[in-house]
Amino acid sequence: MSMPLLEVKDLTVTLSRQDRQIMALDNVSFSIKPGEVLGIVGESGAGKSITGAAIINLLVPPLRRTSGIITLAGERLDTLSPRALRSVRGGRIGFVFQDPMTSLNPVITIGRQLIDTIRTHLRLGRDQARRKAIDWLDRVGLPNPDLTLDRYPHQLSGGMRQRVVIALALCADPVLLIADEPTTALDVSVQAHILQLLRDLHRESGTSMLLITHDLGVIAKMADTVAVFYAGRVAEISPVKELFTRPRHPYTEGLIRATPALTAAGEIQLNPIAGAMPGLGALPNGCGFNPRCPKAQDDCRTIVPPLTQQDLSAFACFHPLERSLVQ
Amino acid sequence: MLTYTASRIGQTIIVLLIISFIAFLLVANLGDPLSALLSADATVAERAALIKQLGLEQPMLSRFASFLTNFLQGDLGTSYRTQEPVAKLIVERLPATVELAFVSLIFTIFVGIPAGIFCGVNPKSPISRGIMLFSITGITLPNFVVGIALIAVFSVQLAILPSFGRGETVSLGFWSTGLLTVSGWQAIILPAITLSTFQITFIIRMLRTQLMEVGQSEHIRFARARGVPETTIWFHYAVKNTLLPVITMLGLQLGNIIAFSVVTENVFAWPGLGSLFLQSIQAADIPVIAIYLIFVGAVFMIINLAVELSYPLIDPRVLRRK
Ligand SMILES: Nc1ncnc2c1ncn2[C@@H]1O[C@H](COP(=O)(O)OP(=O)(O)O)[C@@H](O)[C@H]1O
Ligand SMILES: [Mg+2]
Repeated sequence: MSMPLLEVKDLTVTLSRQDRQIMALDNVSFSIKPGEVLGIVGESGAGKSITGAAIINLLVPPLRRTSGIITLAGERLDTLSPRALRSVRGGRIGFVFQDPMTSLNPVITIGRQLIDTIRTHLRLGRDQARRKAIDWLDRVGLPNPDLTLDRYPHQLSGGMRQRVVIALALCADPVLLIADEPTTALDVSVQAHILQLLRDLHRESGTSMLLITHDLGVIAKMADTVAVFYAGRVAEISPVKELFTRPRHPYTEGLIRATPALTAAGEIQLNPIAGAMPGLGALPNGCGFNPRCPKAQDDCRTIVPPLTQQDLSAFACFHPLERSLVQ
Repeated sequence: MLTYTASRIGQTIIVLLIISFIAFLLVANLGDPLSALLSADATVAERAALIKQLGLEQPMLSRFASFLTNFLQGDLGTSYRTQEPVAKLIVERLPATVELAFVSLIFTIFVGIPAGIFCGVNPKSPISRGIMLFSITGITLPNFVVGIALIAVFSVQLAILPSFGRGETVSLGFWSTGLLTVSGWQAIILPAITLSTFQITFIIRMLRTQLMEVGQSEHIRFARARGVPETTIWFHYAVKNTLLPVITMLGLQLGNIIAFSVVTENVFAWPGLGSLFLQSIQAADIPVIAIYLIFVGAVFMIINLAVELSYPLIDPRVLRRK
């Protein structure tokens, strides 16, 4: 086993509300190997975005990381000085935001935003940085990159803007790309192009990727390994093929069955999981999933199941599924 | 850009026409030029001659037309009070008001903008809290109270600054300036502070609110996620997003300073348009009042035009929304 590029250990994030401390992330652990794409999947509100932001310490009050160790290529990120942290952000770790309509500065040209970012991290002169910016716009598939440099975000379509966001995240050649729902805000027809672009860039540069999404379809297309999040905890971590063929956590199976599928009779089948994910601070005792779980027993209602490794998967369940989904 | 400019200029001209028509109606209906211009023992023939001479028997619209024509030729009518051309009165008083407005605006910009940015970037620091406390005072205190308080301290108690007048002025042909003499500067400080107190506090509060809001926005978070230095983030990325409302407000403020310096000019016996306006109101000097109103309207419209023409340079999205 090679050393992981990114390792997150026992990450706990709390939310201060009046007099209460609410846990938003509870002892989350996972790691990413060099060149690997780790997908984080889960319902909205599961804590996926908070996880991504916590890695580069981008949380703002009332959210706060209260414990956990984060290392990038063996170097602690959670104890870095603000100055050192700045060189990690955008330098060694690129971040793609969800909504390209709001994540670009509306009154600064695209070129200026790119060149500022490049020159923050690389020792380049104005002209060299400009050339690199044009080069990146070209790589992410923008037509007329040198003209686009002088454009403002509102002059581009949503898909083109997301390409700019990706260029901004990658322009300083990071070793890890964190993409938080990079296609969720886009038209369906554009989504596939952006995913394709991310996959191509990942293949070209060998950058590792943390891909956050609520969409199992995106996971199936992109991820090597998948971490399933539920209510601020990791439910299961498995290689992507294993996850879809032999899910171990009942929640994982529920998620897979909840995606529309074509039956043999040619009908569209949808089996949503009954109930809803508990909100922040409303976690039941024991396993967070137990009120919705068909296999829940007494132990599930009293003890939080620890993440345990078995075969290729790690899961937090006392009564894991044994059967395979493919006959 | 060209259509934008043309449409803005067109709108400005239309509004100016409307303002002058209202001012004309004021003169035509409120004033009684006959009793003002004729001596008490004038004959009926003299009266008829004057009516003819002033064109008072003409229909309303053609009178407005000749009012406009005269206006554009620089004939602004005659003051009832002093029997002098209104144009002459205005030109005499204009420099005092413009210089006071100019110095107040400088104070506003050089105190208000840095303090506002500071409070927006560090909203929780003790200095910001102090500035905000001061600004509440500035926003609630009426102008004349500030003026009188300043006079009490600096003119009466400390006796270091004059409490009235413009000091010595230097004539530059058509313009008499107080900004070239020491006594002129001493005289302008207190009224300029008085006039800018409200504007400064207003700009501070607005910049602070705007910056705090922009600071929360997704594109600023993204810039942070890219490691862009905080100084670039605040002083370039964030501030540029607040410029549109700030420039708009500064423009309105400058209009306010020029138009509504009436109270301040009165407190400091400042020989500007504001005091002229007050004297004219007391004497029911309708021609002067009307021209003053047109002047104020024109000042607002021209500043507004300049502000709107600067929008596309600050925020390119303006052109697309049209
Ligand atoms: N700034 C915040 N203040 C309060 N609650 C927050 C904040 N950010 C996120 N949360 C809450 O934390 C939980 C997890 O959020 P998030 O990580 O954004 O979920 P998702 O998995 O959909 O990305 C949600 O319940 C959300 O409402
Ligand atoms: Mg999210």
